[in-house]
Amino acid sequence: MLDGFEILTTSGIVLWRRHYTPISSNLIDSLVRDVFIEEKQKPGGGENGAPSYKKDRYTLRWTSAKDVGLVFVAVYQSLLHLSWIESLLTAVKGLFTKAYGQELKTPHTLKVNTAQWDPTFDALVNRLDTGSTRRQSDTIDSEGPTELTPPSSSAGDDADEPPPVPAPLFRKPAIPTKRDDVVGDSTSTDATPIPTPDTSRPATPGHAASHLLTAKGGPGKASRRSRKAQTFNASAPVSSGDESSAGRNLKGGAKTAAKGKRRWDVDGMAIEGDDDGVLDYSASATPGPENAERELDVADVNTSQMGSRTGKGQFVLKDLDDEVDAILASSSKPQQQSNATDDSTGSGLLASASSRLTSLFRNVVGGKTLTKADLQLPLQQMQTHLLSKNVAPEAATRLCQAVETDLLDQKTANYTSIESTIRDSMTKALTRMLTPTSSLDLLREVTSVTSGQGALARPYVISIVGVNGVGKSTNLSKIAFFLLQNHFRVLVVAGDTFRSGAVEQLRVHVRNLSALSQREGVGKVELFEKGYGKDAATVARDAVAFATNKGTQAPGGSGQMLYDVVLIDTAGRRHNDSRLMSSLTKFGQLANPDKVFMVGEALVGTDSVAQARNFAKEFVDTKGKLRNNGVGMDGFIISKCDTVGDMVGTLVSMVHATGIPVVFLGVGQHYGDLRGLNVGWAVDKLMK
Amino acid sequence: LSAILVTLIFSLTLPILIHTYLYKRAVAKELPTFLLIGPSGAGKTSLLTLLANGTPSPTHTSQAPQTATCQLPSTTRSSEDKYRSENDTSSRTQPSVLLLDTPGHGKLRHHAIASLTSPTSLKGLLFVVDSAVLSSAAGLTETAEYLYDVLLLLQKRHMQGKTSKGPLAIPVLLVANKQDVFTSLPAGLVKSKLEEELGKVRQTRSKGLLDSGIGMDDGGEADEESNWLGEYGAKGFKFAQMREHGVEVEVVGTSTSAEGEDEGRGRKCWGWIGANV
Repeated sequence: MLDGFEILTTSGIVLWRRHYTPISSNLIDSLVRDVFIEEKQKPGGGENGAPSYKKDRYTLRWTSAKDVGLVFVAVYQSLLHLSWIESLLTAVKGLFTKAYGQELKTPHTLKVNTAQWDPTFDALVNRLDTGSTRRQSDTIDSEGPTELTPPSSSAGDDADEPPPVPAPLFRKPAIPTKRDDVVGDSTSTDATPIPTPDTSRPATPGHAASHLLTAKGGPGKASRRSRKAQTFNASAPVSSGDESSAGRNLKGGAKTAAKGKRRWDVDGMAIEGDDDGVLDYSASATPGPENAERELDVADVNTSQMGSRTGKGQFVLKDLDDEVDAILASSSKPQQQSNATDDSTGSGLLASASSRLTSLFRNVVGGKTLTKADLQLPLQQMQTHLLSKNVAPEAATRLCQAVETDLLDQKTANYTSIESTIRDSMTKALTRMLTPTSSLDLLREVTSVTSGQGALARPYVISIVGVNGVGKSTNLSKIAFFLLQNHFRVLVVAGDTFRSGAVEQLRVHVRNLSALSQREGVGKVELFEKGYGKDAATVARDAVAFATNKGTQAPGGSGQMLYDVVLIDTAGRRHNDSRLMSSLTKFGQLANPDKVFMVGEALVGTDSVAQARNFAKEFVDTKGKLRNNGVGMDGFIISKCDTVGDMVGTLVSMVHATGIPVVFLGVGQHYGDLRGLNVGWAVDKLMK
Repeated sequence: LSAILVTLIFSLTLPILIHTYLYKRAVAKELPTFLLIGPSGAGKTSLLTLLANGTPSPTHTSQAPQTATCQLPSTTRSSEDKYRSENDTSSRTQPSVLLLDTPGHGKLRHHAIASLTSPTSLKGLLFVVDSAVLSSAAGLTETAEYLYDVLLLLQKRHMQGKTSKGPLAIPVLLVANKQDVFTSLPAGLVKSKLEEELGKVRQTRSKGLLDSGIGMDDGGEADEESNWLGEYGAKGFKFAQMREHGVEVEVVGTSTSAEGEDEGRGRKCWGWIGANV
C-alpha cells in the first residue's frame, strides 16, 4: 500500500504530493541528501528502472526526469513488496512530463497548476495496483489535512485502513457500501459512534471478538470488500496470508461448534442461524432492496467518476489506458529504440562524407545533441587520462559514467566542442566528489571540546591508522607541531607496540618538538609509552585516562586536564590481514577517539580503494554501527604528495571508495610540511 | 537606373533592419538580482516561493539553483520612490527583481560562490539562517563558517576592484528565519551570536594550516591581511566592521510558515529589497 507519492523539482520545490498516511518531510530530505547529493548509494543497485532507498522502516523508490528537472518519489512501508511501483513511476513520469513539460521548461516557473493531475493519478493507481492491497479512493485527501492512524493499527502493518474519519471529509458520500471498513477500527478505538449515513451497526460481541482475533484487520476487510469468500486467500497479500487463515480458523472455531452455514452480510456482520440462506453467490441473487441499492451504488460510482471529468472525462480514462500502455511498453524496450537510431546513418560515400563534415562543423560550432555514440570515444580518452593520473579504474569508471548520464541528450553550448563539454562536466563531478560536506576546522573542534564547561572538559583524542610505511608517525608529528604552534598541550601515545624502534622513533620526534616549542615558548608535548608487546587498545585507554586526570592526585582540587590533545599512533597493518584489522575495532571502542585519520600515500595505486574500504569498515561502535554517521573514519591524510607531482589520483580513489573526505596533505618530511586540501588545486592538477 | 535605385534602397534599409534586430536582442534588460544563500535547511527555497507566489510551497533539500522573477508588492516602497514627491498620484509600476535561490548543502555551495563571483547585476544578498538551530553549537558553527566564507569573498571582491569602475558594494540582509519555532532565537540575539562565532572562526582560520594550493606552487607569502575579515587585528568581530568594505549587514527576523496575515510574512524582506533595488 502506497504511503505517499511526491513530485518535486531538482531545486526542491514540491510540485504535487499525495500522502495517504502522514510522512515526515525528513524522509525525502534524507533521500535527496544521501543519494543525489552525497551519492552514498551505488547508482545501479536498484531493480531495473526504479532504484530504492531505505530509511526508518520505509522504502523509497524514485525516478527522475532530467530534461525537466523533476524527481518522482514513491514511499511505502519496507515490509511490503509492491511490484507495481516501477510501472507506476514510469507511467507517472511519462504522463506528468507530457502534461506539464512545456510549462516547466519555461524559466522561472515555481509551480504548476496540478488540479487536473489528481484524478489522473487516482486512475493510474487504480489501474496498476494489483490485488487487494487497494486503498479506498474516497478516504484519501491530497494536500489536505492528513489523517491520524488509530493506535490499534501499528505502523508496521500493511493494508491499514484509514481511520474512522467523520463523514464530511469523505469525498464521495454517495458510497455508503464502502463504509463497512470503518467498523473494525471504531469498535476498538472510539467510544463515540461515528455518524454515518448507513444503517446502524450494533457492535455484537461476535464482531468485536472477530476484530480482536485478527491481529491485522486487513485480510478480513478485504474479504468483505471483495465480497467473495473464494478469493479471500488468493487476494490476501503474501505477508499476511498466515494471519488471515489463522484468524479465520480462530473465528470459525470460536463461533460455532457445529459447522453451521454462516452468511456475511454487506456490512461485514455474520448473520447467524440463517440456515435457509443460500451461500452460493455464483447464481444471480434475487434482487432484494439491499442488493438493488448496492447495484445502484455501484453504478453511481461509475457514472460519477466518469462524469466528474468534464467533457474530457471519458477521453482521459481511455487515453490514459492507451498512454500508459505505450509508456510501459516503451520503457521495457529501450534497446530496440537505440538500435533503430543506428540504422538511420546514410549509405553511400557522399552521404557519409557530408555527414562527417556536418558533424565536424557541429562539433566546432556547438548546438549538437549528444548521443551515446558521440560520447563514447571522448569519454574513453578521458578515462585513460584519469588512469594516467593514478586514479583507480573503479573510480575512473564511476566518474565517466556520471559524466555520461549527465551529458546524454544534452545540447552542447555555443562554440564548445564535445571534448570541452566533457572536461567541464568532469571538472564539476570531481569537484563535487572531493568537496566535503562540512570542512574540518581542527582548531575549533579542539577548542570547543577542551573548553567544555567544567566537568565536560576532556582531552581531544585523535588516532592515526594506516598500512605499513605510509608515514603515520611522521604525519602525526606534523600534526603535533601544528597544534603546538597553537598553544595546545599535546600527549603523543606510542600505540605501536609491535614494530621494533617505533617507540624510539616517537621519542626522537617528541624530543625535537619539545625543543622547538621551548624555543618559541609555546605548548607542551610529552610521550606516553608502555614499551613493546602490550595490547595497543589498553595502552590507548590508559593514555586517555592519564591525560584526562579525573580527580586522582591533586588534593583539594579537581583533577585538571593535563593535556588538551592526545595523539595516538598505531601499528601499520596490511588491510587484508583480518586478525590485525579486527583488533582495530577493539581499539576504536576502548580509546573512543574523536577523530580517526587514515594515512594513505599518494604513491599507492589501485590498492588504495581496498585499503580505504577495509579500514573504514573496522570502526564500528558497540552497537554495530559505523562511527561518524556510518562511514567509519573521519578523514584521510594523503602523504608524500611532493613525490608524485601531478598524479594525485589517490585522492579521488580513496574518496570514491568510502565517501570520507581528505583533510590533510603531507608534502614533505619536515614538521611544517602539512597542508589542507584545496579542491580547486587538486582538480586542476587532475585535469591538466 | 533601376539598379541604382534598388542598390540605394537596399543599402539604406539594411543597416536599419540590422540595427533594430541586434538592439532588440542585445538590450534585454537585465533585472536586478538578489541572491538567496545560507546553510542547508534554513528555508531559502520556501522563502523564494513565499516571495514569488505570496504563499510558501512545501519544499525539500535543493539540488540545483532556482530563479524566479517577481515584482515588488504594491505596498512596498522602492528606492525609486524617493525621487517622487509625496503628492504624486500617478501610477507607478513596481520594479521587478530576479531572485536566485542556491542549494545550501556543503557539496553544492559552488553554485552560490559562482553567482557571487560572476559579473551579474547582483544588487543584494539574503543570507537565510535557521534561528532555531543556532542555539546548538554544531548549527552555529556551520552557519558561521558559511557566513565567514561569503563575507570574506565580498570583502576580497571589494578590495580587488580598486579601479574607478569598482564593483558596487553588495548589501547583505541576514534573515533569521523560522521565528515561529519555539526554540528560535530573536533577531538581535542571532546577530550577536553570529558576530561572536565569526570572531572565533576568524581567529582559527588565521592560524590554520595553509591551503595545498598556496605553499607548493608559487611559494609566495599568503597575505594575512587579505584573509582577515573586517578590521585587521581587532579583538572581536562586529558587522559594522564590514562597512568599510562596502558591505552593509542588516538583520531581520521572519517566518515563512507562520499563520497570520498573508501580506505581512514577506514584508520585511520586501522592504529591504525595495530599498536596495
